[in-house]
Amino acid sequence: MNELLLEYLPILIFFFIAIILSCVFIVLPMMLVEQKPDTEKLSAYECGFEAFDSARKPFDVRFYLVAILFIIFDLEVAFLFPWAISLGEIGLFGFVSMMIFLGVLTIGFIYEWKKGALEWE
Amino acid sequence: MTETLLPDLAPAYGEIFMAIGAMALLMFGVFRGNKSTELVSLLTAAVMIVTLIITVTWNDTAVYTFENMFVVDRFTSFMKILVLVASALAVFMSMQYFKDEKEERFEYPILVLLATLGMMVMVSANDLMSLYMGLELQSLSLYVLASIRRDSELATEAGLKYFVLGALSSGILLFGSSLIYGFVGSTNFTVIGQTLSQASHGPDIGVIIGMVLVLAGLAFKISAVPFHMWTPDVYQGAPTPVTAFFAVAPKVAALALLVRVLYVPFGEMSESWTQVIVFMSLASMVLGSVAAVVQTNIKRLMAYSSIGHIGFALVGIAAGSQDGLRGLVIYMAIYLVMNVGTFACILAMRRKDGMVEDISDLAGLAQTRPAMAAALGIFMLSLAGIPPLAGFWGKWYVFKAVIATAVADPMATNYGLIMLAVIGVMASVVGAYYYLNIIKVMFFNEPEGEFILQKSRKLKAIMGVSAALMLLFLLPQINAPVLEYARMAAAALIS
Amino acid sequence: MYQIIVFGPFIAAILAGLFGRQLGDKGAQIITCGALVVSAFLSWVALFQIGFGGTVEHVTIMTWVSSGDLNFNWAFKVDTLTAVMLVVVNTVSCLVHIYSIGYMSHDPHKARFMAYLSLFTFAMLMLVTADNFVQMFFGWEGVGLASYLLIGFWYKKPSACAAAIKAFLVNRVGDFGFALGIFAIYMVTGSVEFDVVFAKIPELQGQTIHFLWMDLDLITTICILLFIGAMGKSAQLGLHTWLPDAMEGPTPVSALIHAATMVTAGVFMVARTSPIFEYSPDALAFVTFIGASTAIFAATIGTTQNDIKRVIAYSTCSQLGYMFFALGISAYGAAIFHLFTHAFFKALLFLGSGSVIHAMSDEQDMRKMGGLRKKIPWTFAMMVIGTLALTGFPFLAGYYSKDMIIEAAFASDSSMAGYAFFMGVFAALLTSFYSWRLIFMTFFGESRSSKSVQDHVHESGNWMMAPLYVLALGALLAGFIFKDYFIGQNYEDFWGSALFLKDAANNVMEAAHHVPGWVIASPFIVMILGFLIAVYAYIIKPETPAQFSGTFRYLYALFYNKWYIDEIYDYLLVNPAKKLGVFLWKKGDENIIDRFGPDGAAASVMALARKFRGLQSGYIYHYAFAMLMGIAAFVTWFVFISGGGAS
Repeated sequence: MNELLLEYLPILIFFFIAIILSCVFIVLPMMLVEQKPDTEKLSAYECGFEAFDSARKPFDVRFYLVAILFIIFDLEVAFLFPWAISLGEIGLFGFVSMMIFLGVLTIGFIYEWKKGALEWE
Repeated sequence: MTETLLPDLAPAYGEIFMAIGAMALLMFGVFRGNKSTELVSLLTAAVMIVTLIITVTWNDTAVYTFENMFVVDRFTSFMKILVLVASALAVFMSMQYFKDEKEERFEYPILVLLATLGMMVMVSANDLMSLYMGLELQSLSLYVLASIRRDSELATEAGLKYFVLGALSSGILLFGSSLIYGFVGSTNFTVIGQTLSQASHGPDIGVIIGMVLVLAGLAFKISAVPFHMWTPDVYQGAPTPVTAFFAVAPKVAALALLVRVLYVPFGEMSESWTQVIVFMSLASMVLGSVAAVVQTNIKRLMAYSSIGHIGFALVGIAAGSQDGLRGLVIYMAIYLVMNVGTFACILAMRRKDGMVEDISDLAGLAQTRPAMAAALGIFMLSLAGIPPLAGFWGKWYVFKAVIATAVADPMATNYGLIMLAVIGVMASVVGAYYYLNIIKVMFFNEPEGEFILQKSRKLKAIMGVSAALMLLFLLPQINAPVLEYARMAAAALIS
Repeated sequence: MYQIIVFGPFIAAILAGLFGRQLGDKGAQIITCGALVVSAFLSWVALFQIGFGGTVEHVTIMTWVSSGDLNFNWAFKVDTLTAVMLVVVNTVSCLVHIYSIGYMSHDPHKARFMAYLSLFTFAMLMLVTADNFVQMFFGWEGVGLASYLLIGFWYKKPSACAAAIKAFLVNRVGDFGFALGIFAIYMVTGSVEFDVVFAKIPELQGQTIHFLWMDLDLITTICILLFIGAMGKSAQLGLHTWLPDAMEGPTPVSALIHAATMVTAGVFMVARTSPIFEYSPDALAFVTFIGASTAIFAATIGTTQNDIKRVIAYSTCSQLGYMFFALGISAYGAAIFHLFTHAFFKALLFLGSGSVIHAMSDEQDMRKMGGLRKKIPWTFAMMVIGTLALTGFPFLAGYYSKDMIIEAAFASDSSMAGYAFFMGVFAALLTSFYSWRLIFMTFFGESRSSKSVQDHVHESGNWMMAPLYVLALGALLAGFIFKDYFIGQNYEDFWGSALFLKDAANNVMEAAHHVPGWVIASPFIVMILGFLIAVYAYIIKPETPAQFSGTFRYLYALFYNKWYIDEIYDYLLVNPAKKLGVFLWKKGDENIIDRFGPDGAAASVMALARKFRGLQSGYIYHYAFAMLMGIAAFVTWFVFISGGGAS
């Protein structure tokens, strides 16, 4: 059983690194930076345009759509990296599998494009 | 790793065909728009029927493929046939409804197809991973289906509830899977089963908890008590054709999966899980029968009815014998026909100003629509388990099996099993009340308004054929093939 | 042929009853009447074949019961006795069917009525053609059912419903005896088929049966049990109370069932089982006693009644008494002959009174009639013919049959014969009196009805009158034509083996032809006497009845109130039964069985269901909570039963 768990040691290490890093990024500025708030700095931050409302209000459902679409393709890329590295080992089977995966994803993409999910208005 | 060639695809031809078909239809639909719904529906049904033919012709002993993650044997074939028949009928039944409601969406049949694909994978799963993949493909499709009428508050609520609780159950199931993998070291059913049977001492506590969690996740899918709470709300809220689909195919698939999980990896632990199954079975039968008594909405009533029927089907598992499993398989086959027929009737409950779904709306149906009243009457009697209708025989085989087990084994669990049979019969007596109440409303109450004449010949045909099957199940020409195939299916899992 | 006779009415009943709406009233009437006309015609053919051809037919339809030692078939045994009954039943039934078309023309449920009539006819035919006791019992119960349906035909009338229930219940008592009799027969002979049973009876003579502390003579016990059945069906003293009330039914029903056919089933049954009765002199004496008592008892009541149909009903009761005492003194031929002639003139009287009632706008009280002679002369003529036949006016039907019975009673050496003879003669006097009283009150004197009713008085239509003429013909001629065969010199050829006499040499019928002249004359004399009294009391001095009832107040009240039999039954049986019923219903059923049984169970299911509904709150977090609790419970359970695991 220990051998099995040993295989998961890298994940545990990554886990701790992630925690440490995030703590560092939050705590360090607090200690180092001079705090000088003004209205602009305290207002809600929105990507790409001026904030026009409180961040606590529910926002447009279209953001979710974009986010979900983003996640799908993000995961696709996350899947592609290890695949690319180990392609030499998994050979034809690996190649065909990924092509099928990409094909399915493409079908989905065509669908959302035709449905107009990619257009904002 | 060697240079592996492609795995043996032959056992999965049906699933592959469905997947390709689903994607092709998606492309077809999205370019043609919603006006192609009818055609897409028909093509979807065609895909299912072709898959059905592929499944039927695959008539072999157990074959494993995809690194033993996928299995095909007589049990899977039988269950897949049930799933495909139920799904195809659900598609047929939905067509007129969406046309009448002016809510035609070509995605609907494709989602049904995808859900069915998920069920097929579930039925054939021989690995925790393929199990989860099938389950999620099915569940995600079902969540969308539940709220396919986005503008209906009820449907949205139903979809949301189903999604949240479904996600919870999936999480529980995943957690259980990870525990099992952690303690056994494999996700493959066969390997888990071998490992557990070779263990010198009893199973690890982690495995036990893992199994309970997986069991709970699956119990949610078949809506066995106490994981049933979503069922009435979702059944009532979802559009009727969706409910009709929910009521049958996913139940059959999840039950098939449950049976495989219990018998293949955890067959060694049958003494422990039998007691949980007995409890769930009892609780489902009692709750399904009792709670339905006060319902006024027929879809909600059918939800409780399905909970109760799952309880009866679980009796077959509790029996733990080949006969019990055969009883369960027969039960599901009969359950399918009864429910499809009943929902065909519910779909025909349409007045000039739209669908109605209260039991009181059926008042005087025998005078206004005598044929429909006769059909619905037959279904109700069959659901209540009145001989000589088919519903009675379903119950007969499971109870016979459980009594046989109880009598054969005078030591261990027989006390509980006999209790199970007794309470089961009592629950079916209580259940008979509300089924008969519907008959009373139809035949003895004065009509208040009339349903519009049903245009759909498909609906009428489904009603008529199902009712005839219920009536004629007694004929050896009809029941002999079912019994024989069910026996072979059961023999594939328990010899 | 016999299949058509028996099943024709049955098919007609089914068609008219189930498809009456589709067929329409006319269709139902045509089908039922058509079937009956065919049956009636074939019955006469059968009578000539069997009775005059001297054969016995056995027709097997199908196996009914074949279980262990108990085997019997659906089969017809058609001998002369059956053939006579077929003729009586089908002829009268056919005429009543036709009469009903006219009589029920204002009723909204014609098809149902015709269906019931045909159903009754079928059951009656089953009864008379039976070749075993069980089939006879089937017909017996069938006529009981049809009678119940027909008496209660106007089911919106409470009195009709009550009468129907009363008829049914009183008949139950008789039927219970009959059923016990059949059981006893099966017990001792191992068969229920007539031929087998009758062959075995002589061996059983002198055997006893042990019951409680008594040792009863076997054959006598069987006979008494069977006779109790006959008493119920034929309204004999003690079980007669339902018959007068049964007049609540439509008049054609009274004519068919409560005069001509069903009530004679008891007579038929005793005649059919004569091979058993013959071996029990005690039972025969009992039959004689009951018959004679009924004859006089019913006649006394008949003299005081005012309802036209009730008078005839009591007259029927009385005449049935004649038939029974004829049976009791082994004069079977005379009994059946009287049954045969009685069917004609009593049906005639009933249908005639129906015509009167119809004319009087449904008035049945004779005190409100009078003077109808000129307004409905044809009905009057028919009624007079019926009355003459009933009272035994020479050469009419009743003359031959009733006089024969009285003479046979005189000639018989049975222990009860003397009693029967005097009762018979006295009853004949009363019969004559009340029959003429009916005629005088209805047709003579001044009209006592209201003006509006009088204006409406009219002769009935042809549908109603035609059957009357046919029956009148029967009342005039039936006795004269058939007397030689039923009771005269062709007696033995005609009956063949149908009627059994233990001591054939000592035939009471034979002896009856050689009685003194005053015996032969006595019925005629008392008939004239009765007529004269009636003329005096109702024509010459109409105030006589009032004076008489004033002088003999108690006697009159006794007769008028039917000897208080109903009141005694109410006090002794009905009220205690009702009290017991109410007690069991309120205390036993509602308070104990229902409360802890069905109602209690249903209430707890409902309560549980409401609780479950309460759990179904609609909140996701409740649902999720339930799931998690379930998992926690399962895990706990597993951990406990696996003893904490082994990790």
